[in-house]
Amino acid sequence: MNVAKLLEKRRVQWSELERLCDSMEVRGRTDKSGFKHHQGVQGIARFSTLYRAACADLALADTYQLPPGTVTYLHRLVARAHNQLYRANKFEPQSWSTIIFETAPQQIFADPCVRVATLIFFGLFALAMYLGRNDTIIPGFADRMVGTEQLSQLEEAYEAPLAGSLNHYVSMSGFYIMHNTGIGLRCFAYGILLIPCLLSLAYNALALGTMFGYMARPDIVGGDNFFEFVTAHGPFELTAIALAAAAGLRIGLGLFYTGGLPRTESIRVNAMKAVPVMAASALLFTLAAFTEGFISPSPLPYVVKAVWSVFSSGLISFYFVVLGFPRETGDLVSQSTAGDQPDAA
Amino acid sequence: MASPAALDTTIAVVTPENIAFDYQLAGPFRRLPAYLIDLGVRWGVIIVVVICLALAGLMVSFSGLGSFVLAAGFILYFLISWFYGTVLETYFNGRTIGKWACGIRVIDTDGRPISGKRAMLRNLLRIADLAPPLVLSSFATDAMPVFLPTGMIGLLTMLFTRRMQRLGDLAAGTMVIVDERGWRLPVAKVDDPRVPALASFFPGDYRVSRSMAKTLAIYAERRHYLTPARRREIARHLAIPLIDRFEFRADIDPDLLMYALYYRVYLSDPSDEIADLGPLAGFSPLRRDQNKPQGLMGDAANPISPAVNRPATATAIAEPTPRAGSNAPDISLLGKSLPRPQPHPGVGQTDVGQTESGQQPGSQQDVPRPEEQR
Repeated sequence: MNVAKLLEKRRVQWSELERLCDSMEVRGRTDKSGFKHHQGVQGIARFSTLYRAACADLALADTYQLPPGTVTYLHRLVARAHNQLYRANKFEPQSWSTIIFETAPQQIFADPCVRVATLIFFGLFALAMYLGRNDTIIPGFADRMVGTEQLSQLEEAYEAPLAGSLNHYVSMSGFYIMHNTGIGLRCFAYGILLIPCLLSLAYNALALGTMFGYMARPDIVGGDNFFEFVTAHGPFELTAIALAAAAGLRIGLGLFYTGGLPRTESIRVNAMKAVPVMAASALLFTLAAFTEGFISPSPLPYVVKAVWSVFSSGLISFYFVVLGFPRETGDLVSQSTAGDQPDAA
Repeated sequence: MASPAALDTTIAVVTPENIAFDYQLAGPFRRLPAYLIDLGVRWGVIIVVVICLALAGLMVSFSGLGSFVLAAGFILYFLISWFYGTVLETYFNGRTIGKWACGIRVIDTDGRPISGKRAMLRNLLRIADLAPPLVLSSFATDAMPVFLPTGMIGLLTMLFTRRMQRLGDLAAGTMVIVDERGWRLPVAKVDDPRVPALASFFPGDYRVSRSMAKTLAIYAERRHYLTPARRREIARHLAIPLIDRFEFRADIDPDLLMYALYYRVYLSDPSDEIADLGPLAGFSPLRRDQNKPQGLMGDAANPISPAVNRPATATAIAEPTPRAGSNAPDISLLGKSLPRPQPHPGVGQTDVGQTESGQQPGSQQDVPRPEEQR
């Protein structure tokens, strides 16, 4: 058997396959390869034929005793064609509602990380608020926690009663989406390292709690205005921070609490579980941003803002408890594993 | 050879066609430039968007839409800085602009394409891989509080995982592979007429082992990067057992012998008639024929022995004057249109040994150079 002649014969098809791969690089179309018989369906059929032929050549490379250089070339060629044949799955927007309204609440309800993160966040928040309000327990706590300058800035900002125009509302909600969701995403990403996530969560809880406590002191002028401002969006935003951290912690815990899986596999499985929680958190951040942009600074009567606050708290509770209550039919385990591998099919 | 898996940075993948092929993994030195390009592109896009929005804001400021433009600017900045990689990797089959420029691609660890969810996860977690940040103000008190990512976490994780994954890759179950185009197909061609002649002296029933065939192919691909002396040194290890086994003359050039065996295994057709050997006809490299008259050439002439080891009485048959025309490589790629990776080191200057002599055997090889006829 003459390898040189065999290669000479097969080379024609291989270079045709390479040209097809070139033309499919961007959008997966075979039209740009320059051959007439590569238009549309014909091109796809031709591509799969050539790909299978190259696969067969690679499989028989050992039998043919092809030179190693040629085998390497064939590996590259098949890998390249493989990447063009099996292309990335696009997003499936129709599955997003399932993720938001079914997978995420059930995951949140069942996940101990959510409870831990919520406890840490609201526990530290309450503690800092208490310490910030009573300066006698730890004198100078608020000043050292947040900084005297920031506190006086905060005080000044809320001295005037709330008023604003539509223009101001729109641009501010855009800013809040960018800024607050960014903090949430950062908290989530650091979750895989556990400690930065916990630090970030605790810092946010302490700083916010101290500000709340400071503004609640009876001798602060703008206190009423401040609480009028934060009432409306508070439930959404504080929950969203805790949820983002919980999603991050879920990934980080996968490193230690593997449940019998190999460690890397455990991280992967837990990360897939964390995605719906993070999506829910991002949704809450967005809702909070619009509330903060439009309702909070508006000169609406305080009752409206309080009602909105109660309503949003009820909405969150409904979401977590009613939608999240474990279903009898699809238990969480099968749900979450099915959610892990939507691309396996 | 004790470990079953190769130490190479390749990962075998089994396709639905039931074919196993290797992917070459991309290391930090390919991925860092890709990341930097992406960073540049991202900031470029953001700057362009800001300029466009500022112009648009100037034009619509009368109608009170300026705040919407500002809000759109904030949201676009947020989306571009957090979801640039996610969207590009999902819609361009695992590639961002930087990855495309560096010839790398993200795929699933099973070799399947990346999905939107995985792309999102690995891109969101990048910030953890870039940790810990270096705070400039800790060096100079008056510096801006700028955080420079050091990327140590991602680098360490890449070093310690088999697939060179960073944390985001581990969480998303993805890996980054090299996906370059334009791999050349290297096949050697033999122009030296002594090679087929020598190849015909291997017994017809001799079959090389699989590892021997592989070795021969690697040797033939690499040998024109080596000097003749180095070639002989390397070839000797395998040539000496062959010389013993087939009873060749002891002064045969090991390089030529290996090359002939390569020709025999890969290039010759058993049904082919042996080509016209010209002056080499009747010459036998076998040990038992060493004392017989050697055809036209007489028994002093030995075209197959290495140049440096020849006894002083031998003529310089095998050492022709290097000519300008003989600079053509003796191994050429089958694909004539494909460029050579680099010029031959030393062809024509240092390579005055036997293998360059194949261009005009009739005119060159049997005419001794006068200055060597001492």
